[in-house]
Amino acid sequence: MIDLIFVTSTLAFFVIASAYIAGCERLRGGKPNA
Amino acid sequence: MTTNGWLQIAVFFGLVLAAAKPMGLYMARVYEGKRTWLDPVLTPIERLLYRLSGIDSNVEMRWTQYCSAMLLFSLATLLLTYGVERLQHVVALWNPQHFPAVEPYLAWNTAVSFTTNTNWQAYVPEQTMSYFTQMFGLATHNFWSAAVGMALAIAFIRGIARREMKTLGNFWVDLTRGTLWILLPLCVVYALALVSQGVVQNFRPYDTATLLEKQSITSTGADGKQVATAVATQTIAQGPVASQEAIKMLGTNGGGFFNANSAHPFENPTPLSNLMQMFSIFLIPGGLCVTLGQMVGSRKHGWAVFAAMSVLWFAGVLTCYWAESQPNPLFHGVDQHVGALASGGNMEGKEVRFGIANSALFATITTDASCGAVNSMHDSFMPLGGMVTLANIHLGEIVFGGVGAGMYGMLVFVILTVFIAGLMVGRTPEYLGKKVNAYDVQMAMLYFLIFPVFILGFSAIAVLSPGLGTSSLSNHGPHGLSQILYAYTSAAGNNGSAFAGLNANTHWYNSTLAITMLAGRFLMIVPMLAIAGSLAAKKIAPASLGTFPVDNSLFTALLTGIVVIVGALTFFPALSLGPILEHLLLRAGTSFS
Repeated sequence: MIDLIFVTSTLAFFVIASAYIAGCERLRGGKPNA
Repeated sequence: MTTNGWLQIAVFFGLVLAAAKPMGLYMARVYEGKRTWLDPVLTPIERLLYRLSGIDSNVEMRWTQYCSAMLLFSLATLLLTYGVERLQHVVALWNPQHFPAVEPYLAWNTAVSFTTNTNWQAYVPEQTMSYFTQMFGLATHNFWSAAVGMALAIAFIRGIARREMKTLGNFWVDLTRGTLWILLPLCVVYALALVSQGVVQNFRPYDTATLLEKQSITSTGADGKQVATAVATQTIAQGPVASQEAIKMLGTNGGGFFNANSAHPFENPTPLSNLMQMFSIFLIPGGLCVTLGQMVGSRKHGWAVFAAMSVLWFAGVLTCYWAESQPNPLFHGVDQHVGALASGGNMEGKEVRFGIANSALFATITTDASCGAVNSMHDSFMPLGGMVTLANIHLGEIVFGGVGAGMYGMLVFVILTVFIAGLMVGRTPEYLGKKVNAYDVQMAMLYFLIFPVFILGFSAIAVLSPGLGTSSLSNHGPHGLSQILYAYTSAAGNNGSAFAGLNANTHWYNSTLAITMLAGRFLMIVPMLAIAGSLAAKKIAPASLGTFPVDNSLFTALLTGIVVIVGALTFFPALSLGPILEHLLLRAGTSFS
């Protein structure tokens, strides 16, 4: 069970980081991966 | 301080200086895809790897794609390492001590630690990790995380060098070329050199030696009472150490095969191996300054950045060596002066074979460079000596810094420096002909803010939580604060060295330090690459009388000043309550147990 929590937490962090990339790109006025 | 000590420090720096140009020019050729003498051997391997993994090496990536590829790679390798640790008891291969699975909190902390190039170790390696885990789970990360850092630095340099382009290169190509052409060849030679000095390299079970004289060891039992145990044998750990030691230092990873790290005679047996280890920490970061100059077409700019890093390094080693050479004021009636039979100064926590100069130098280098390997215990340094190790990381690990990470961190400081220089003369700031706009500075500010938010935030929570943070301390008062501050600083700076004295193998510290490591690596990389992408798309304006030159001593001085001011404004209050207060109280005759 605890393994699942850590794997999920890791995935969640990287999803947040991906959203963060998109946010930084939008701030510049571009579209992510456009 | 002795003449001999200063001579050894001078020899070290002379080696770094001499190696920077050939190393930097070679790395520039590798990343620009130019011909090298290793091509006949490595190019077929490179092509095979691309074919097997379906990578088109001609495809260029925007910063968002480059960053996403880096994140994906890091996520996959992190989970792989977590799995290896959790299943090491199942994999009988190279587990002669029959170690059980690594406990989940510790396994996650360690997987994050090695993925982020931190190599924070909340465990005793020779009592926890099988040879398979050490080699396949951890040493591989030493290569990958270092190659990722180098690739990111090259991407930033391309951002500066390119004009009106949307791409920064191909992450997979940079990762592969950095590993094959730079890290692997150097490590093969380096590991053999370490073996020649006595670093062990085997897969044998641990040796057991019978002591000539039985020892009595006193420990605290479960009921809190003192228990005396007679010991007649000693276990001597073995393992594939040299192969891991080479990349540990060269990749500024720092995670030791043994708990004592580079203070262990099997990891760092001789004065020559010690010099090699210190030199190899700065080899790639120093060379990257020359790579910068070469790739952006201004070699003088690369040397100006190298000079700024050198000034900051020298200030650190001067202060640390001076502090450690001072007698401890609480030792009354003890001769602490330098003599034929005594090293003088503070020898607590230091190897006699390395002495004060090489311990202070190693500590300064390892904290400058985000390495984290240690040949002495920083917790036992005098308060101001310990403060140097803390402050080095607080500057952002940009004094040569981690492989790649130091370079891109320093380049974000360069952006800030040209911005402030522009404000001072009332002109639009330019960096090598590219106008630095609001977006670039916003991203730079984001980069700088993430670092202290996690260090100071988690430190504050730990200090205020007796059940979570302070229960792990071995010292109270300002030294205890330093222990907690150092742990989060080391994690956010992806350094990995420990101040020791703090039991970090608890659920609280394993979890929060892992979060801090992830944030200190990936949440800082994103805005850094955003700046690189922004710079790559810009036109290059011709230099005019109002252009701030970035290749002279004025630039070096301003860059150095900005680094120090940003670090001091952010962390001086915390340092004043930790090592500075401890120093003052020590002079007044107070210590904290």
